[in-house]
Amino acid sequence: MVIDQVHDLQKVYRKILHSMSRPGTITSFEQKADSISKSLPCNEAVFLCALTLFDAEVTFHIIGEQEKSERLAELISSYTMSNKAPHDQADFIIALQGNLTKEIEKAMNVCKSGDLINPQNSATWILESVLISNQSGVTLTGPGIEREALLQTGYDEHFWMARNLRTKEYPLGIDCIFADFSNQIACVPRTTKMVATEVI
Amino acid sequence: MKTKTHFAFFDEGSKKEIRRATLKAVAIPGYQVPFASREMPIARGWGTGGLQLTLSLIGKNDVLKVIDQGADESVNAVSIKKLVQHTTGVPLTESTTDATIIQSRHRIPELPLKSDQILVLQVPNPEPLRKVDAREYMTKRMHAEDDYSGAWLILFEQIMRYGKMTTGAAHPVYVNGRYVMAPSPIPRFDNPKMHQSEALILLGAGREKKIYAVPPYTNVESLGFEDYPFTVESFEGEQCHLCGATEVFLDELIDPDSCERTYQCNDTSHCIERLNSKEAEEVEKSYA
Repeated sequence: MVIDQVHDLQKVYRKILHSMSRPGTITSFEQKADSISKSLPCNEAVFLCALTLFDAEVTFHIIGEQEKSERLAELISSYTMSNKAPHDQADFIIALQGNLTKEIEKAMNVCKSGDLINPQNSATWILESVLISNQSGVTLTGPGIEREALLQTGYDEHFWMARNLRTKEYPLGIDCIFADFSNQIACVPRTTKMVATEVI
Repeated sequence: MKTKTHFAFFDEGSKKEIRRATLKAVAIPGYQVPFASREMPIARGWGTGGLQLTLSLIGKNDVLKVIDQGADESVNAVSIKKLVQHTTGVPLTESTTDATIIQSRHRIPELPLKSDQILVLQVPNPEPLRKVDAREYMTKRMHAEDDYSGAWLILFEQIMRYGKMTTGAAHPVYVNGRYVMAPSPIPRFDNPKMHQSEALILLGAGREKKIYAVPPYTNVESLGFEDYPFTVESFEGEQCHLCGATEVFLDELIDPDSCERTYQCNDTSHCIERLNSKEAEEVEKSYA
């Protein structure tokens, strides 16, 4: 995987910015896949988001199977010079695929959500999804959405309930980036209101 | 000898920091996110905030337009354009529709912006409550407590003194019903363009080290009272003496000798486009 630190990451940033300013809008990254990206412990989109946003000034926490998360933490640290931190102190929280509902919920309850003087001191979540789509799922409304948007991320209602609980006291809250295995991302910032339209 | 700079002037670490602040600004519309404003080769207070945003955004496929007070050719716009082009090589344009990034000082273009465009506004004074309290800690606290009585009081005092709200530019706005924001010194005429805009609007204050944003489709309401509602500048009965436009922001020009008043489009590229299309029409007619 050859990634141009300047131009590729600029493109990734613009995609993240586009999705963050238009919650629910799916954007896709250019596929960079080859032998190295196949051996990544996470999907490429998650890794590209980390490369774009992390540096020595921020900390991250990974929720995932132990072996996988250790390998990813080492990779991220060596590429970006950012350090690991406990889930209640990390600036970014990466949640990998796996049977991790409880761990995610636990981290969601204690992660940083900023304070009223500095609401920007909150955690940004990067969530690994299998496939994101606009076909069904939760209905999103709020700034950046003209009327409403549908978003299917593969995360269940417990996740969304925990997320809604943390964003209730706006401007405090958490911002989520969902990144799937088809190199697509969608964002749900704290301003977005969601209603479950069906069984997710 | 010319030194070959890094793409978009900044090192990648600086861009990352600005990008993270920008994403937070988008997630909390109207809230001023502090960032480590870098030293730039132009003086602070002359668009360094906007310039830093533009440099953190720009890529090889972008087309840049820079406006200064409505004009594409004035000093601030030209020097910023030169710097960005010298360090990135991106094409420049004067046409609002062709640009992907529009950096502007004190105006929002007359043509409505589209969803694939980003408007970057240069902000000298981002704090709408600065007149209320000079201390940053106190104004941050007022924003935290949703205490905007000071902002209302400033407008109320203007009404008491002059019988109307006299904000010439940067009339404060409520963003998403929560934060009161200084929309950069755009005329009141441009305030409604921010409401439910199709394009993302980013605001950067380099000297004050703040980045804030208005995402697309976000409610932006100008502060006003029931009996003294917010109004935009009126140019009723006047039109541009060059292109004849009426529904645009006009500059008032006074002839120093005859003291005659004329009005002219403030957005120069919009005016020229109108003149060109008029001319093309006339040529076509006379040819037929």
